[in-house]
Amino acid sequence: MYRLEPQAREWIDRSTVLRFSFEGAPCEGYAGDTLSSALAASHPYLARSFKYHRPRGVLSCANQDSNALFQVDGIPNVRGDVTLLRQGMHVTAVNTFGGLARDRARVLDRFARFLPVGFYYKAFHSKRWFPRWERMFRAITGLGAVTLSAERRTTPKRYGFCDVLVIGGGPSGLAAALAAAEAGARVTVVDEAHRLGGTSALNDAERQALDSLVRDVQASARIAVLSATAAVGCYADRWVALAEPRRLTKMRARAVVFATGVIEQPAVFRNNDLPGVLLASGAWRLAERYGIAPGRHLVMVAANMEAYAVCRDLAARGVNIAAIVDLRAASEAGPGAAGAGAAGAGADEAGCASLGIPILKGFAPYEAFAGADGRVCALAVAPIDDVGRGGAAAESLRRIECDAVLMSVGFAAAGQLLLQAGAGSEFSAGLQQFVPLDLPAGLLAAGRVNGVYEFGARLADGRRAGAQAAAHAGFGAGSAASIERSTRRPSHPFPVFAHPAGKNFVDFDEDLQVKDLENAAQEGFDSSELLKRYSTVGMGPSQGKHSHMNALRILARVRRVPVEELGLTTFRPMYHPVPLKLLAGRGFNVERRTPLDARHGALGAVWMSAGNWRRAEYYAVEGETREQSIEAEVEAVRTKVGLIDVSTLGKIELYGPQAGAFLDRVYAGSYASLQVGMTRYGLMLDESGVIIDDGVIARLGAERFYFTTTTGGSATVFRELSRLNALWGLDCALVNVTGHRAAFNFAGPASREILQSLADVDLGEASFPYLAAREGSIAGVRTRVLRVGFVGELGYEIHVPASAAARVWQALSEAGRPHALRPFGVEAQRVLRLEKGHLIVGQDTDGLTDPFEAGARWAVSMKKPFFVGQRSLKILESRGPRQKLTGIEVLDATRAPKECHLVIDRGAIAGRVTSVARSRTLGKTIGLAMLAPPLAEPGREIRIRAEGGEMLAARVVAVPFYDPGNLRQRAGRAA
Amino acid sequence: MPCLDVADTGARMGLKGPRASDWLAAQGVAPPARANTWSRSPAGRADVLIARLGASEFFLEAPDDAALAALAAGLAAEPAGVYPVLREDRAFRLSGPGVHDVLAQVCNVDFAGLDLEARPVIMTLMIGVAVIAVPDGRPEARQYRFWCDPTFGPSLGETLGAIIVECGGTITGESR
Repeated sequence: MYRLEPQAREWIDRSTVLRFSFEGAPCEGYAGDTLSSALAASHPYLARSFKYHRPRGVLSCANQDSNALFQVDGIPNVRGDVTLLRQGMHVTAVNTFGGLARDRARVLDRFARFLPVGFYYKAFHSKRWFPRWERMFRAITGLGAVTLSAERRTTPKRYGFCDVLVIGGGPSGLAAALAAAEAGARVTVVDEAHRLGGTSALNDAERQALDSLVRDVQASARIAVLSATAAVGCYADRWVALAEPRRLTKMRARAVVFATGVIEQPAVFRNNDLPGVLLASGAWRLAERYGIAPGRHLVMVAANMEAYAVCRDLAARGVNIAAIVDLRAASEAGPGAAGAGAAGAGADEAGCASLGIPILKGFAPYEAFAGADGRVCALAVAPIDDVGRGGAAAESLRRIECDAVLMSVGFAAAGQLLLQAGAGSEFSAGLQQFVPLDLPAGLLAAGRVNGVYEFGARLADGRRAGAQAAAHAGFGAGSAASIERSTRRPSHPFPVFAHPAGKNFVDFDEDLQVKDLENAAQEGFDSSELLKRYSTVGMGPSQGKHSHMNALRILARVRRVPVEELGLTTFRPMYHPVPLKLLAGRGFNVERRTPLDARHGALGAVWMSAGNWRRAEYYAVEGETREQSIEAEVEAVRTKVGLIDVSTLGKIELYGPQAGAFLDRVYAGSYASLQVGMTRYGLMLDESGVIIDDGVIARLGAERFYFTTTTGGSATVFRELSRLNALWGLDCALVNVTGHRAAFNFAGPASREILQSLADVDLGEASFPYLAAREGSIAGVRTRVLRVGFVGELGYEIHVPASAAARVWQALSEAGRPHALRPFGVEAQRVLRLEKGHLIVGQDTDGLTDPFEAGARWAVSMKKPFFVGQRSLKILESRGPRQKLTGIEVLDATRAPKECHLVIDRGAIAGRVTSVARSRTLGKTIGLAMLAPPLAEPGREIRIRAEGGEMLAARVVAVPFYDPGNLRQRAGRAA
Repeated sequence: MPCLDVADTGARMGLKGPRASDWLAAQGVAPPARANTWSRSPAGRADVLIARLGASEFFLEAPDDAALAALAAGLAAEPAGVYPVLREDRAFRLSGPGVHDVLAQVCNVDFAGLDLEARPVIMTLMIGVAVIAVPDGRPEARQYRFWCDPTFGPSLGETLGAIIVECGGTITGESR
């Protein structure tokens, strides 16, 4: 390839030279060049293929093939066809060992016959050897390398909104955009290229019309253009993912026009993958946009009018066309041809002939030859009938010297996005492509993807689709025009040519040859889906854009059925591989913090995550280890007083005449009869009787309840209660105040005395007994106080508005200082509640635990007429528990199991540890465990398999471990 | 450039229930007639913003506690069918050119397409946090007042602040 003289419409700025490096050597290009164009102008080849490491060059120049993937400044798999050249880029090829020129893995090309389709299924199945094969595959497969030192770039995602989204900025897309905008719609046009226009305006009249469209679109206030942007996925409700260079836009459109065009398809012949063999449209893009000629003597393999138009265009730029090898015996302008397309085709063919370009009708490519530099140097052709029979006799071969071979043998509709969006498709034998069928409402197709090929017809089709899209979005009256598909045949039905030596590639990504697909079909993988998965055709980076159609044709021929009978494989997002950074976006990590977060930090809190909350695990004190601090916090609660922030608890208010009745239905206990001013433990079950949450329910008034949920369950419980409230229609209302109220647990022998000094409520035992609830003031703040016993000491749960939390905490801290008050965190609380044998839902229970297994039968009131889970509990009660939650103590004081370690009995799993902790108060390691019923008897010894398989002995004991008579929490008396 | 004002000013209260709308009207505070819309009504010497959240819940914001004191006292008397909703929300205001670019990164509502004359109240998620948003201002200079659960406030404020700064905007006000 070489640079032409400046071209009239080129995209490059030759006055600005950009310097970069490729494979360590300095290179130059121009501003406006892409990586591919800059390299194509100066390098014989750009890449190595995936499997055989064959040299590869530009194929499409349209971001459709994987030949143009590069490692750039530490970023892997940069798509060279659409990445603009920048000053100072460091570029290397991917998938090489020792560099592009001296890739050591190129030797694999010689062993191709030992690597047939599916060979890995048959060769690497040995269990003994597989670890070695796995290491080998990991080393030699994959494209690109992740470099941790590469610059980290922000790639935020965003939402976008429009009335009509037009995908494709070619003639039909632009016409659709203008029609929709004229009807009053907000339009967004997206196109992968850096400029609008597409790649098919091949004569001056078409170019002028296209330029006018582009100007009108850019001038329209209702049309937004996103260039260098690929639509990579279509989802329900016309939600389209748009991949821009540095962000993903999630576009919500009321209507979508797919003007995505077609993908030119390669001819399949021996060595059709050599550098210098490229698609005609790719050659045209190089010449038109970047002023690069594909070669000095090129051969065109043709099967449509587009081939001749490209030849005339390149000839006009000064490129020598050595020959046109037309697969067809008769041209489109021959007898019987009709329509504007045929007339145009005739003009182009006549024009080529008048230029003295030899045209070989009814000939096919047989084999391309490589020169010393690895690029194509000649093409052997033969009568198509000879080639089609599987081999051409030497005497029928003609060798044409050339340095480039262009292929223009047909197209496949770029309809993947349409199919993702739910459209159907049918195969048009006339067009030799799939066309859309049964489009869902709000989705339109226009242009060549719709089977409309003539330029004028494409504009009309675009206008039709745009008007109809706008009408669907509520603008304008739509269009009554119908679709006029082309009557000519732009695609050859079978551009696949056999060769006894093979290397006639169908899939360039996967280095798949014709015989690979034939062999796969003969092995029984003879549906399009099976063929894909067994052979990997279409599974490379280009995802079948250049291989799917030819693969179907080959399979159809093997099975002797029409192509349409095979059907397409399922197309799923993403249309192109998308960098994970675009999908990751900014990465929002929302964290909830209690109103006292800053205060805890000042107190030395060591943080932990509890669900999406940030909580204090413990408070670090200088000179203490973590374990010492936690033990000291426990001791403070047991002997003096401690204060913990439990603001993370779910908190729900319930009002109304039927509030009690509602609670009776949703909880297993009785609450309609609960006295005002008292609390009761609440166990929430699902319909199958499984425990899903627990909490404390306080009755503050005749029609006023206030109850808590677990930290992790608050959102789910409130949602479920709201659903049930709507379902049952009881006269009551729920209010979720979880984040709007703070809560503290103030516990220890000194808690009553300290709290009384701040409260206007009588906290005496008679006035405020265990399990009572009162409203009053603490430190001048209106407060709800619940006397509960989660940690097993005299204690009070204090609930205040969030804005008053700091004031009350401060008051409690100051009042408690003379009593050596210590704040305590989650870990100390875990130990304290474990010493009392109190379960934690979700830790000591699982997705199948019912109240009988959890030892919570006492919390269930089966006499109620109905509660959620009641019916299931009746069945479960009659069956008996599968397991039981029991207390355990580890016999060896120096050893401790971990939560989830298994209990083993006679070689079988008989339970698991759910909670375990070292209790300094008790001087032993205690825990809770789910055990098979025969083991769950107090005094029974069990064995626990701990870390490394070590077996630990433990004994089943009754709970609570500490203060079995519950004297301390009930009356504040010593046990 | 877009601006995030984190000054958490104003007093708030909420109420809900089958008779909440009538009760408000009886207190001389005219609630919006349609669900998910807002209005302003004088209460005392101040204007009170009243957002109707769905059919029977209301969110009120006033410049200070005094403006809502009478309503709060009335609620404390426990009128039938009217229930208090404690509102300790964290409040923010987003404004300035480019405000929609910021919103597009954090929320999937088409704020630019809203009809301001309809006085919409938007209940949605912003980076996964439930928020109530009220747009106001002139069509060419929109502002968005929004509120969230106070426990999400720091995280939401930090995230929005980072995006604002990236977009070349500013952060004003100090949190309470």
